[in-house]
Amino acid sequence: MGKAYYTIAIQPEKCNGCNDCMVACAQKKEGTTNPSDARLSIELGEEALAKGFALCRQCAMPQCVMVCPSGALRKDEETGIVSVDETECVGCRLCTLACAYAGIALHPKKQKAVKCDLCGGDPTCVKSCKTGALSLVTAGDLYRRWGDLEDLFVPGMSFCLGCNSELIVRHTLRRVGSNTVVATPPGCVAGVGAVGVNGFTATKVPVFHPLLTNTASMLAGIKRYYNRIGREVTMLALAGDGGTADVGFQSLSGAAERGEQIIYICLDNEGYMNTGAQRSSTTPFGAWTSTTPVGEALKGKTRDAKPLPVIMVMHNCEYVATACSAFMEDYYQKLEKAIEASKKGMAYIHVFSPCPTGWRFLPSKLIEVGRKAVASNMVPLWEYSREGESLRFTQPVDNPIPVEDYLFLIGKYRHLSREQIEHIQDMVNERIRILKALVKE
Amino acid sequence: MPMSIVCDGNEAAAWGVARAKPDMVAVYPITPQSSLAEYISQFVADGIIQADLMDVEGEHTVLSVLQGACLAGARTFTATCGQGLAFMFEPYFRTPPLRLPIVMSIVTRDGITPQCVWGGQQDAMTVKEVGWIQMYCEDVQEVMDTVIMAFKIAEHPDVMLPVNVCHDGNYLSYGVSKAEVPDQEDVDAFLGRKNTNWHVALDPERPMAVDPLTGGAGGAGPSMFVRYRKGLCKGMQNALRVITDVHADWARRFGRPWAPLVEEYRLEDAEYAIVTIGSMTGAAKDAVDEARGKGKRVGLIKFKTFRPFPLKAALSSLSKVKALGVVDRAVNFGWNCGPLYQEILAALYHLRECIPAISFIGGLAGSDLTVDKFNMVIEETEAVYRGKPGPTEPIWLNEKD
Repeated sequence: MGKAYYTIAIQPEKCNGCNDCMVACAQKKEGTTNPSDARLSIELGEEALAKGFALCRQCAMPQCVMVCPSGALRKDEETGIVSVDETECVGCRLCTLACAYAGIALHPKKQKAVKCDLCGGDPTCVKSCKTGALSLVTAGDLYRRWGDLEDLFVPGMSFCLGCNSELIVRHTLRRVGSNTVVATPPGCVAGVGAVGVNGFTATKVPVFHPLLTNTASMLAGIKRYYNRIGREVTMLALAGDGGTADVGFQSLSGAAERGEQIIYICLDNEGYMNTGAQRSSTTPFGAWTSTTPVGEALKGKTRDAKPLPVIMVMHNCEYVATACSAFMEDYYQKLEKAIEASKKGMAYIHVFSPCPTGWRFLPSKLIEVGRKAVASNMVPLWEYSREGESLRFTQPVDNPIPVEDYLFLIGKYRHLSREQIEHIQDMVNERIRILKALVKE
Repeated sequence: MPMSIVCDGNEAAAWGVARAKPDMVAVYPITPQSSLAEYISQFVADGIIQADLMDVEGEHTVLSVLQGACLAGARTFTATCGQGLAFMFEPYFRTPPLRLPIVMSIVTRDGITPQCVWGGQQDAMTVKEVGWIQMYCEDVQEVMDTVIMAFKIAEHPDVMLPVNVCHDGNYLSYGVSKAEVPDQEDVDAFLGRKNTNWHVALDPERPMAVDPLTGGAGGAGPSMFVRYRKGLCKGMQNALRVITDVHADWARRFGRPWAPLVEEYRLEDAEYAIVTIGSMTGAAKDAVDEARGKGKRVGLIKFKTFRPFPLKAALSSLSKVKALGVVDRAVNFGWNCGPLYQEILAALYHLRECIPAISFIGGLAGSDLTVDKFNMVIEETEAVYRGKPGPTEPIWLNEKD
């Protein structure tokens, strides 16, 4: 994995167009108070969210650097900052054409390329922003820290394009580490060859196929024996929703009740995506699947999804959380807590896992699907720890977007009628109400 | 000094487990196995068994936790029967190809439906084809001794297969008699050091992928699959030798010489024989004695080891007689006969001689197979020996009770 670097991020809904950032930049870089001298530009449009930004992203593969004919531009491998060497710059403007973000311009007086250099890592614009619209994104810091850990899955596993589960399992196992036994029951993770195919394996730590039905039980047996002989070994389940909420539920329930010391990660892609997208108990109401098809008489699934993470809260687990790959920082924090909790009992993380192949959306929309699932409260992100005895929203959504803004990103909901959408909105509202009741003030 | 106790077969099995010193015992209660689970739990509570006791939510998990523990290196035991065995079948089916030396008592019980909680061998007989070793015991002492021997057989490096020690529900589970519990140090010396996962392990110190996808339309996958299958068959065949050796070793050390595969009773000059399996054999031997007293030249062949089928030992005994009456405590619905009977017919093919044989089915749903029933078995078998055409259907011994 390549390094991740700092960059300035903007949350447009928080921007009030005050220009303080541009003034601060102009002061620091040019000694003026003229916003047009700044190295970033924010233009308020007609509509509230239609703002234009001109700002260097400090790209991982900067086009400006690639097209520069004089070698004046370079990306620092340590800091990631793309900088201009004015003594080399010939003022040809090729970089300004190559940049899609208008993040580099020609200095009107010097006739040299000029751009944001993150003020060396402590940007003035961010410090001047009173509304919090600008921030120096630190998630990259986490990626960088975890990126140094070894990826314990080999490259070239046959996940589908844009697979959310691949993202999650690689990051998870990096952090959980090699002193681990990994269980991947039949499903997407095992199906792509995590355990292996015909004598070759894709995992660098002990890994096995449990049955679809007994993941938690087999891990419990392994863990108990290592405890007996005084060895501390981590048990990690990477299971789908079928092996967790449907046919695997009995063994999961028993293991949770007994307080087995397991990290159980459920990758919920809302159905049997590995075998052709059939319905599971976590498939949401109205969704098309290959066994809840859409036709004259049937219009997708007729029942709501089983609310498994809430059920697990009521199951003596040490730690329960929901997660989504659009909020990796949130996931990392939860995984840290799960690792600790699994030393005392079961830690269960339910990861929302949108499936481009089975849900019918473009792989490039994966993170947007995740963001809108959370923004609409379809997938509320929360955690529960037995010690704290309370549920806590980790990404509270004060003003949720309508569920249809989420639903219509996805092909499996394309057919929904107004009544079906209303049903889903009512379900979402009701489930948020129940979750809020579990929060102790 | 060995301890003399009076106990039933379930307690005897629990004492066998105690002496074998497993690391983990998992249980879920089911009639008529329940008191075995209770004895083991009490032994753990009393410190007689120092195993991790996992009382879990069902038989499916019982065998699953044992598989996990065994892959980490544990010696493991459980017991079940009937519907519990049926529910366990998914992991059960998989234990032999994983080559896990797990020992499990089947306190045999008849199948449902109609709902039935009484003895019969329908459960064990129904699962006989998937690669577990199955040994059937005749009395309480043999239950205790065989449970201990089962660990040595299962963990033998030439075998590495799971073992079922079968004892009849009701008649052995609850039947009480005197038994001798061997001394711990003698059993320790007999069993030696355990090594349950040298060949397959889930251990970060020896990382490996257990059970990758294996197969395809041709090439390396299916051919690797064949090697796994042949290896399992080889382990089963090796087990016949190991079972024999282990029983001989047991006899030397403890003075109780159980027939390891097939037992012959008054067979040397017999003209015809009855064939039995399990606890029914006691009453059958009495009937043979009575018939001998009347001058009938009848013998008895008892199967202790049913899986792997001890073909050579069976042929050696079967070849000594000219007619057979085979008594089953289970039904083979596919062939309209008893399952042991069907196996005997398959074995007889190797003798290249067609001798008459009758299938008797009795003792279902807990019914007692008395000496009177075996008198009838002997009479019918003698009749076909004398030339009367044999029945084309099984004779149901308790049909008119």
